[in-house]
Amino acid sequence: MSENTEADNLGEARIEAAYGSGDGDEDISATVASAPQGQILEQVYRPWDGPLGPRWVRNYAIYRHHVYGIISGSGHRRYHPFVRLTLLVVILGSMTPILMLLLSSMISGDASGFLNRMWGVNRYNLWGNVLGYFPRNLCMWPLLTALVVGGLVSDDRRNGTSALYFSRPVSRLDYAFMKWLSAASVLAAVILLTYMLYYSAAVVFKGEGWSFIADTIPIFMGGLVAGLLLVITYTSIGIALSSISTSRFTASVSFLGLVLGSKIVAWLVELQFETTYVYLLSPYDCLAHLGQWLVGLPLNYDHSLTLSIVSLLAMNAAALSIFASRVSSLEVTRE
Amino acid sequence: MKSTPAIAFDQVSKWYGQVIGVNDVSLAIDGGVTGILGMNGAGKSTLFKLLMGRLRPSNGAVRLFGTDPWESTSPYRRVGYVSESEKMYDWMTSLDFVSTLARLHGMTRHEAEKRAEQALSFVDLENVLNKEIGKYSKGMRQRVKIAAALVHDPDLLILDEPLHGCDPLARTSIMNIIREMGSRGKTVLVSSHILEEIERITEQIVILHSGKLVALGNLHAIRAMLDQHPHRILIRCADSRALAAIFIDQKPVYGVRFIDSESLEVMTKNLSEAHQLLPSLILESRIPIYSIENPDDNLESLLGYLVGDA
Repeated sequence: MSENTEADNLGEARIEAAYGSGDGDEDISATVASAPQGQILEQVYRPWDGPLGPRWVRNYAIYRHHVYGIISGSGHRRYHPFVRLTLLVVILGSMTPILMLLLSSMISGDASGFLNRMWGVNRYNLWGNVLGYFPRNLCMWPLLTALVVGGLVSDDRRNGTSALYFSRPVSRLDYAFMKWLSAASVLAAVILLTYMLYYSAAVVFKGEGWSFIADTIPIFMGGLVAGLLLVITYTSIGIALSSISTSRFTASVSFLGLVLGSKIVAWLVELQFETTYVYLLSPYDCLAHLGQWLVGLPLNYDHSLTLSIVSLLAMNAAALSIFASRVSSLEVTRE
Repeated sequence: MKSTPAIAFDQVSKWYGQVIGVNDVSLAIDGGVTGILGMNGAGKSTLFKLLMGRLRPSNGAVRLFGTDPWESTSPYRRVGYVSESEKMYDWMTSLDFVSTLARLHGMTRHEAEKRAEQALSFVDLENVLNKEIGKYSKGMRQRVKIAAALVHDPDLLILDEPLHGCDPLARTSIMNIIREMGSRGKTVLVSSHILEEIERITEQIVILHSGKLVALGNLHAIRAMLDQHPHRILIRCADSRALAAIFIDQKPVYGVRFIDSESLEVMTKNLSEAHQLLPSLILESRIPIYSIENPDDNLESLLGYLVGDA
């Protein structure tokens, strides 16, 4: 039997006439998937018999999860690209005095000149590098804190991801402390490292010797302690607000409102009633007051320094107690 | 000397204000797979929360490997917990997620990654371990959670509704994993409201109802204890009346009931004796038999009898 006759018998010619299946489709072939009769997936459980590390290793895992996320996007806590960009801008902004130092050292070698007074190492500049109001404490540090700390606990509260920690050998104290420490580390890395870099750059660019270092190191240390207190206070307040919220936006805005709002209210009261006592409610002003004393600047607040210190301690204590109580109730139906 | 059980509840009660969550529960579980069963509000979740240290008992004592989980997190080194709700970092790959959680047990980075790969391979996710969890199906997400619970080789695995929302293939895979863990000598506690699933996983059950422990032990042994509910044997045959006439004189047979002309229900209070006797009687009768079933020797009937809904 010829091929044509066979095709006719099979009805291929009629099909082709009706549907035109011969138009370039000749080479198309189809296969029917051949399903296996059955498949047994081998489940081989390989027990892990390695040692489990000590408490600090587990705590470090929490710490790095939060800190590394700023640098690396995968495998760690997620920070929005805008947050990372803002962090970069804040870091670059806080390093502008270093650039100005370089310029002033290149332009003028006069130690008492304008450029040196503006950018060189002295009590005012060291204080200003940490506690200066504009732009650092008006824009940079509060924004940095709000962005880093805002979602630290509120995200866990909203998503319930704190349960991932509490079903592991991680105590609530470890969880809380590592969260706090990771936020404080980021703030310290920006605020204190740039401060130290500024001082080091001044020594290098101006070619200063040991006598200069010996003269200025107490002031520098005073500024460093003030910066450390700022990092501690801002972190504590920020994380407390994050722990009472389920939205990072609310926590961040609350922090900005508290830090900037208390300052503005105190300033308005001072203008109206010529008293600085309301500054005791402002975290920034308490820090600024203490910072002035630490670097040896004249104090420009009417009230006693002791009151500012007490207020600062009370703010930190209140913030940490709120944080502790909120963490103790995370994922828990406690009586 | 007897070792400490993995889980021990000693006269534990828990009240939420005026509402009672768990009422005077005492039980100890160690080794094998145990299914926790109960209707909604029976107290299953309360039991798990007490175990995981998220609730403090109003009365009694809860012990996880001999330690009070409310006071110490140390027993969690030996526990793998799969919660019912979805709580994961969706932006992470499953490898990153599982290794991050492994590090919370104190593993180094290298160990954690190696173990995470092994655990993900065990749950058949080795081909997608570098894919973001947010892109996973429900069944795959459940398996990631199981891998995260297994990564530190726990002695006790607690699974709260692990099969919820999974497709049949994922269910089979997860059930295999649970059975495998049980056969490895691990203690596995699994809750589900789908009784057939529990039946496929284990015969060791704990039944809760309104916060009270209603039954504990082997499913068939518990059923055998329920004398007030005669066992039913459903026989489909060619001539049900002729077969009934033969059965009714026999001692273990309590009664017969005709479902239709080809179906006969035999009631007995001694199921094993009835099953020994009936086959020989059927053979002697030469009546063609289509099927023999025990319709109430299953979890659904048992639960119904115990909680009074049957």
